[in-house]
Amino acid sequence: MATIDTYADSGHVSVSDWDHRYYHVDQVLDRPGPRTDPDFIPGDAVKSFLRDQCKILVIGAGGLGCEILADLALSGFKDIHVIDMDTIDISNLNRQFLFRPKDVGKPKATVAAEYITRRVPGVTVTPFYGKIQDKDDDFYMQFNLVICGLDSVEARRWMNATLVNLVDPERPESLKPLIDGGTEGFKGQARVILPTITSCYECSLDMLNKQTAFPICTIANTPRLPEHCIEWASVLEWPRVHGDKKMDTDDPDHISWLYEVALKRAKEFSIEGVTWSLTQGVVKNIIPAIASTNAIIAASCCNEAFKIATSSAAYLNNYFMLIGTEGVYSYTFEHERRPNCPVCGGESVDIQVPKDWSVERLIEMLVEKQDIQIKKPSLSTPTTNIYFQAPPQLEEATRPNLERLVSDLVPEGGEVTVTATTLPFSLSLRITYV
Amino acid sequence: MAPGESQSIESATATIRPDNKTRRYDRQLRLWAATGQAALESCRILALSASATSTSILKNLVLPGIGHFTILDPTVTSGADAGNNFFLDGPNSIGKLRASEAVPLLCELNDGVEGRADTRSVQEVLEQDPSFFLSFTVIIAHNLASPVLNKLSALLWSNESAPALIVVRSSGFLSEFFIQFHEHDIIESHSESAPSLRIDSPFQSLLDDALAVDLANMDITDHGHVPFVLILVRAMHDWKKEHGGNPPKTYEEKQDFKDTLGLMKRKPDEENFDEALAQAYRAWTPTAVPSDLIKLFAALPDPLSSSAPPFSHLLLALKKFTEQHDGHLPVAGKVPDMKADTKQYVALQRLYRAQAAADAVAYRALLDPAACVPDDVVDLFLKNAHAVRRLQGAQWGTLDRDPTKLAESLDMFPKETATHLALAALAAWQTMHPQPPEPGVNEVRPSAEELSGLAARLLPADVELPEKEAGDAIGEIARAPSADLPNVAAFLGGLVAQEAIKMITKQYVPVNGYCVADLVETWTSTLAP
Repeated sequence: MATIDTYADSGHVSVSDWDHRYYHVDQVLDRPGPRTDPDFIPGDAVKSFLRDQCKILVIGAGGLGCEILADLALSGFKDIHVIDMDTIDISNLNRQFLFRPKDVGKPKATVAAEYITRRVPGVTVTPFYGKIQDKDDDFYMQFNLVICGLDSVEARRWMNATLVNLVDPERPESLKPLIDGGTEGFKGQARVILPTITSCYECSLDMLNKQTAFPICTIANTPRLPEHCIEWASVLEWPRVHGDKKMDTDDPDHISWLYEVALKRAKEFSIEGVTWSLTQGVVKNIIPAIASTNAIIAASCCNEAFKIATSSAAYLNNYFMLIGTEGVYSYTFEHERRPNCPVCGGESVDIQVPKDWSVERLIEMLVEKQDIQIKKPSLSTPTTNIYFQAPPQLEEATRPNLERLVSDLVPEGGEVTVTATTLPFSLSLRITYV
Repeated sequence: MAPGESQSIESATATIRPDNKTRRYDRQLRLWAATGQAALESCRILALSASATSTSILKNLVLPGIGHFTILDPTVTSGADAGNNFFLDGPNSIGKLRASEAVPLLCELNDGVEGRADTRSVQEVLEQDPSFFLSFTVIIAHNLASPVLNKLSALLWSNESAPALIVVRSSGFLSEFFIQFHEHDIIESHSESAPSLRIDSPFQSLLDDALAVDLANMDITDHGHVPFVLILVRAMHDWKKEHGGNPPKTYEEKQDFKDTLGLMKRKPDEENFDEALAQAYRAWTPTAVPSDLIKLFAALPDPLSSSAPPFSHLLLALKKFTEQHDGHLPVAGKVPDMKADTKQYVALQRLYRAQAAADAVAYRALLDPAACVPDDVVDLFLKNAHAVRRLQGAQWGTLDRDPTKLAESLDMFPKETATHLALAALAAWQTMHPQPPEPGVNEVRPSAEELSGLAARLLPADVELPEKEAGDAIGEIARAPSADLPNVAAFLGGLVAQEAIKMITKQYVPVNGYCVADLVETWTSTLAP
């Protein structure tokens, strides 16, 4: 397990600050710029806050995380914590620059933290190799700022909702600015979220690209694309042939098996284009990733963290989007709050349901709808448990309701509460029938 | 090469499990493929300093696997350098040569990359060994003093085959970069626009197949799986027959056409007909040569010498092809996914591929054999013909030598141009104060007034700097003139490396002009060269 370097807790300017160490950064901390908030007081106090008091949490030590840790350390943040549940894979090495081939298999958080602590004297990076869900509110309460560099929508939603829930209007320090970065190939975005004040991650859920889902009947009966053949191999053939044995998408033997099966099916249907690499890409849902885009987005995130921590310049309000495929195109704008956001809005979502819809059909809609996207939702009204995914006894007891009509269980204008174990919030639906 | 042949080679190599190198580069190979990777691996990069910004750029080139980099930098690491540069070893590097300290720490990122430290100055090499610069693919100059930069830029501009020069300037939260190149040709632009499916003007076999579909009598399941392309071609053929050979033109006619599509449905839930409705505009929008291509055709020299770049020959043959084929590009042979069953979809794919193969034969006959364009390049060109690009570049500083154009730019893009002018003014001030700033020794900074005066000199006498925009940019530079902020360095590190990768791989479209970035307000923008 990681040990915490005690000297960061001493609260003094450390001996490792050699002459002119912060020559570059201090130029913007010793003087205001024309657009700096008049309340900014340049000089020692702001430097001391940044270097001796500010505690920052980084979620993710991958493509964005490695960059974020280095940028924060050079900017003068000295008490940095990082959480990541992953271990290092060889395919990370083209961009996750704190890792070397000898590190493959080790926890990302630990290796990244050691590297930064070694390279940037006086900076302490405290790693946690595990899930964000393993930590409680008290843990998150200790930080001044949180930066997310994640590739998972679920983890972002959890972190976002947790920080929104943490806000106590009586205690201003309970409001933790959340800076979120994301990349995909040459594209990316950075945004600043002030929980309960600005638009939150959940508010913008409908901006995500829709995941391509292939209808099962296409996969089973009328494949057209190499992807359809690969899905056939992984979704239908794997369980048929291997029974309960779990498919491991990191196991090259499993990928090879899927590839052979998909290729055979493709030949049968005269479909071209099944390759090993495509097979791996489809079953692992691989998103292209490069060092340069991560560097740009991580730098924007850390620049915002620096501006928030020092007030040396106004922070981003609130969304920066970058597209680098044709020249450098970017768009900076204010994303608006969603009044019926289930996390920060408080209002219930109005939903129109056809009278002949079953509960099962409603659940299908909740999974697919762009601004809801709740996997495995459980449904209840103030008086009835409509359907619960867990525990097993409750699931079994409520399962017969799946086939019942929603209109038999919920009155016109009635409220349905939707929960899911993966999300720390509940969504309130107001049902009207059409 | 027949399409079947290339496929078998592809699938033969694909059965082999990826080796360690392919696994390492997997996430980027999905963007620029083996061809892009090979181009990266054979390129040579020169960085003209080991500043924080320069090493950040190099980091993002070493990681994806360039062949070689050299850092040309005679300076000794200062305490300030050790504080803002991740590729120096903190206080251990102080007092040692900056280039020699940075190279091993960058090489550590990827043992497939060769790195070299050269501790001569740019000035010295320009005077004694100018051909040195010509051995590189891309040269990166961060905050290089104007007199030396101008000499280097002129040297490289005088030679058409000289490396691209990326000029990067940064000061505090503000920055810009510019790529100097003569001409840059891109076959694989990875454009999001798809080639025409020729629904409005079907080639013969497409029309024949569409007319052969017996919509009225076919099996009801098959009816729900006829590809929308065939439905539209058929519907448009019938429409034209009844409308004197004309497609629908007015809004009402277009609605009528859509109504006939709706009436063709035999069951309400036939999704292929829904697709046809959604794509109906393709049936009446005439397929034309994209306007960018028409401009490129017009700019081709006539006649074209055999020694002209292969890309020019490819364009000329394309121009001749469109002239002989009623304004149509060769069919690309790629069919997007659509509602259809396997049989009908595969048949449609074969139809387009066969036409693409026939068009390719006709196209090759128009290509000057003396130009000796390799077959695989011709194939690639034909697949991407609708979106190929040729960028006309400019020499560094052209804009600053044209007060009228600067004034126009200032009028249209005030804050972006003001930021560019502020950075240019700082460079001019530094030329007048050539002693580099040294903490605790020489900390003379330009005043906002001095910078405003220098910026104004670049503009016509009757044009004034916009108070707000120029004040914001100049004030920010006067605040932190020599600050190479870690986050700005990292930001530029990503942007500039990305553009260098596009130049080297000749894939995707690089910036042509000044890319200006303001990290106070977090925006970027591009000014024309």
